Amino acid sequence: MANRKETRSARVGDWVDERSGWRLAWSTVFIRKIPKVNWLYTLGSATLFVLVIQVVTGVLLTFYYVPEPAQAHASVRYITHELSFGWLIRGLHHFGASAMVILTIAHMLRVVLYGAYKYPREITWLTGVMLLLLVFSFGFTGYLLPWDQRAYWASVVGTQIAEVTPFIGSWLKTVMLGGEEISALTLPRFYGAHVWALPAILLSLVGIHLYLVVRNGITSIPKKDE
Amino acid sequence: MNEQEKEEYLEEYAEEKKKGVDFFPDIIFKDTLVMLIVFLILFGLSAFEGAGLEEIADPTDDSYTPKPEWYFLFLFQLLKFFPGNIEVVGVIVLPTLAIAFLAALPWTDRSTRRHWSGRPLVTGVTAALFAGGVFLTVQALLEAPAPGGDAVTAQGDPVAELYSANCAGCHGTSVVANPGTDFYRVIAGGTHEGMPAFASDLTVEEIDSLVGFILVPRGNDTFAATCGDCHAVGDLVEIEPSELRDALALGADYSPHSGAGVPVWGEILSDDVQAQLLNFLSAPDGQRLWSQQCAACHGTSVAFEGGEAELRRVVIAGGSHLEMPSFREQLSDEEIAVLAGFVTGAEVGPEAAALWTASCFGCHGGRIPTATSHAAAVAAITTGGAHETMPVWGEVLTDEQLDSLVDYVVGVASGSGASGGKELYAQNCASCHGALGEGGPNPTRVGDIIAPISTAEYLETRDDRTLEAIIAQGQPNFGMSPFGSAFGGPLDNEQIDAIVAFMRAWEADPPVDLPPEVPDVPAATASGSEVFAQLCTQCHGVEGEGPIGPSLKDETWQASHTDEEIFDAINLGHSATPMIAWGEILSSAQIGELVSAIRDLGRPPPAGIPTFEANVLPIFERSCNLCHGTSGGWSGSTYSDTLLTGDPSPTIIPGDPLNSRLLQTLNGTHPQGVVMPPGSPLSDLDVETITNWIVGGAPEN
Repeated sequence: MANRKETRSARVGDWVDERSGWRLAWSTVFIRKIPKVNWLYTLGSATLFVLVIQVVTGVLLTFYYVPEPAQAHASVRYITHELSFGWLIRGLHHFGASAMVILTIAHMLRVVLYGAYKYPREITWLTGVMLLLLVFSFGFTGYLLPWDQRAYWASVVGTQIAEVTPFIGSWLKTVMLGGEEISALTLPRFYGAHVWALPAILLSLVGIHLYLVVRNGITSIPKKDE
Repeated sequence: MNEQEKEEYLEEYAEEKKKGVDFFPDIIFKDTLVMLIVFLILFGLSAFEGAGLEEIADPTDDSYTPKPEWYFLFLFQLLKFFPGNIEVVGVIVLPTLAIAFLAALPWTDRSTRRHWSGRPLVTGVTAALFAGGVFLTVQALLEAPAPGGDAVTAQGDPVAELYSANCAGCHGTSVVANPGTDFYRVIAGGTHEGMPAFASDLTVEEIDSLVGFILVPRGNDTFAATCGDCHAVGDLVEIEPSELRDALALGADYSPHSGAGVPVWGEILSDDVQAQLLNFLSAPDGQRLWSQQCAACHGTSVAFEGGEAELRRVVIAGGSHLEMPSFREQLSDEEIAVLAGFVTGAEVGPEAAALWTASCFGCHGGRIPTATSHAAAVAAITTGGAHETMPVWGEVLTDEQLDSLVDYVVGVASGSGASGGKELYAQNCASCHGALGEGGPNPTRVGDIIAPISTAEYLETRDDRTLEAIIAQGQPNFGMSPFGSAFGGPLDNEQIDAIVAFMRAWEADPPVDLPPEVPDVPAATASGSEVFAQLCTQCHGVEGEGPIGPSLKDETWQASHTDEEIFDAINLGHSATPMIAWGEILSSAQIGELVSAIRDLGRPPPAGIPTFEANVLPIFERSCNLCHGTSGGWSGSTYSDTLLTGDPSPTIIPGDPLNSRLLQTLNGTHPQGVVMPPGSPLSDLDVETITNWIVGGAPEN
């Protein structure tokens, strides 16, 4: 029985492989040797894991969240207090944001410590720096969405700070807010950036980042004389 | 790194890989373990801490202290080191440099060294960046919740600390404000631009100290060097300016100072420094000086009708200018005796205070005059006259204080500086509330009447903040649109303040007590010109000249607006102006008539007798000839056609309008047929023109 089952699953695997080449992809990504590393090397995958959490919980949140000033707060209240496991979805997304920041920075510190940004991983590093900026942008745009006092006033301050930018400051602020003040136009903007524009950029960069990690392999821990 | 070095590295790396471990499952296992730990932490935080949700955002609640998310605190904190003009360094320059440093690492650090000890510069700078970020974040967390700042630190000086804790976080080391700003009021009440109200956080003395600190830059140091050894600033800011003068001038002879070894500061300090000290303790903030020094006698409403020079003279000179009536006729001897006891501090019953309130409070306010003896008090009350003299403020106040006080009074009385409150009121408020705040029909709600806003009762029960809020935010439930620029209206804060100041001037002598008898909203049957006379003239003037709204008789206005545009403007209104959507009140037919009535305004009736070519033909072409002339019957296309065609002809009998068929048809006085033109009769002006033309003998030219 067991034998026949194995053969059957192997046959299905063959069938799919013939048409997709998944075995090659699988073995390229997973069946490979990497240098001896320590626990610090788990920071990158931990960041990726939290990113997955953010995507999943973020998608779930959009099922219930209404990006409109009159209803945003009520919908977040509903998610937090009434929806089954809403507290968990929103809690994971909320604290996941902090975890993203912490893990991204920790991951980068490891890379600097081991000189892992050097040949041949320069592009990996560059995409990493961009990802750091994106993580902060996510934090900023996501902060306004609950439309509570904390969210509103922090965004007031944040956009005022953006206005200080030389030459384009006031233009930048107007673009961010959709006017001179935070208004009914601002919330959809922040929402659109947070759930459409930024994820599209972030996921593309993460794709490049991961491809490069697999292609070039992870750095070995440098020895004292290296 | 040259080609050879690259090759070497790749070879070494291949070696390491060979000696290494399997990615799957060894590394995947470690990764999964860490992921699990991360998930458990996040789960625990969600379960036990929870993602908080505060009250719904309230853009009007500017007392809220903004708290950025913790990972932005470092930036927030960094700003405090770069106040004012150099803010851009903290906001843009430093973060950009940090990011540029990181992004450029692979190209700035081109050595083959990979161990951290071989790259001291890179690891050093990165560690410094990281440590700096952590330091700033921790510092910001420690300072929370008060938005304090480190821009100004003067350990041990309470006022400087007060400033540093409350103001420096946003304002930096010094506050720049327009001259004439009512600082006390701004600090206590905040501004619409986002400055929180400090009235609930700070005591009156603290706010007074802060105003002095802000307005008199070196006053704090002077205070510390002179009075600071014995006094706290907060204790002295409440003291009368005259007392302060005495204390400076008399030295040990000033009784509270006797035996304290206090020098005669008046002789030691130069006049400038003395003024500085006095200004510091009693800041040149006109509004505050008024409420402290003048309001007790003059009340809170500043109604002054006179020039600045006259006011200055009166204030400086002081003296007797209050005429108190004689109370001999109005009060019984017993009542006068009780009052005299009250003002001399004798033991009197509770009725004394009631009597004071009834008879004297109106003028004296809370300041009870003191009399030397019972007899003197009785004499003063019975005879009246000028016995309460105004202090000689010229000897008490410094020049700066006098300036600010006079500026304040003149400014408020005339409606605050450049933008007169009276004018603003007339432009924005009078159309609904009446020129004297008497109210009137509510144009937005049929049958509703706007209550007066200038009664004593209305003004006394609403403070300035309330009135400002009403004007700025409107009262949507009552059809009042927001007027504050923050809410989409046309007025900025200063203009709103000016209007409130203008309204306050009513308080001393309220112009109305009861809502006026007002005409009802126009009946559905009212004609266009009647509606215009009742409603539109309020803003656009009787002849459309427009004291408030645009001039409707203006040629360019008439030429640049089509009938449809005018119709729409009336029907839909203009947001954020008193021009509301009249379509909710008037029927389409009435608005149509209004449009032609407005068109009439642009065509004043011709002087003398109208002629066919100049005055009548245009009316025919506009309103008649589209149908007449092409479809037979009467034709108005030429002079002779007009006089000769029609059945029966002639339709016009020169000199006899009553029997002219044309006019009978236009006026609807002919028994047969409908009023012409069907559906949209000619405007009154057009009919009048044709009538005058016929009366005048129907001339061609």
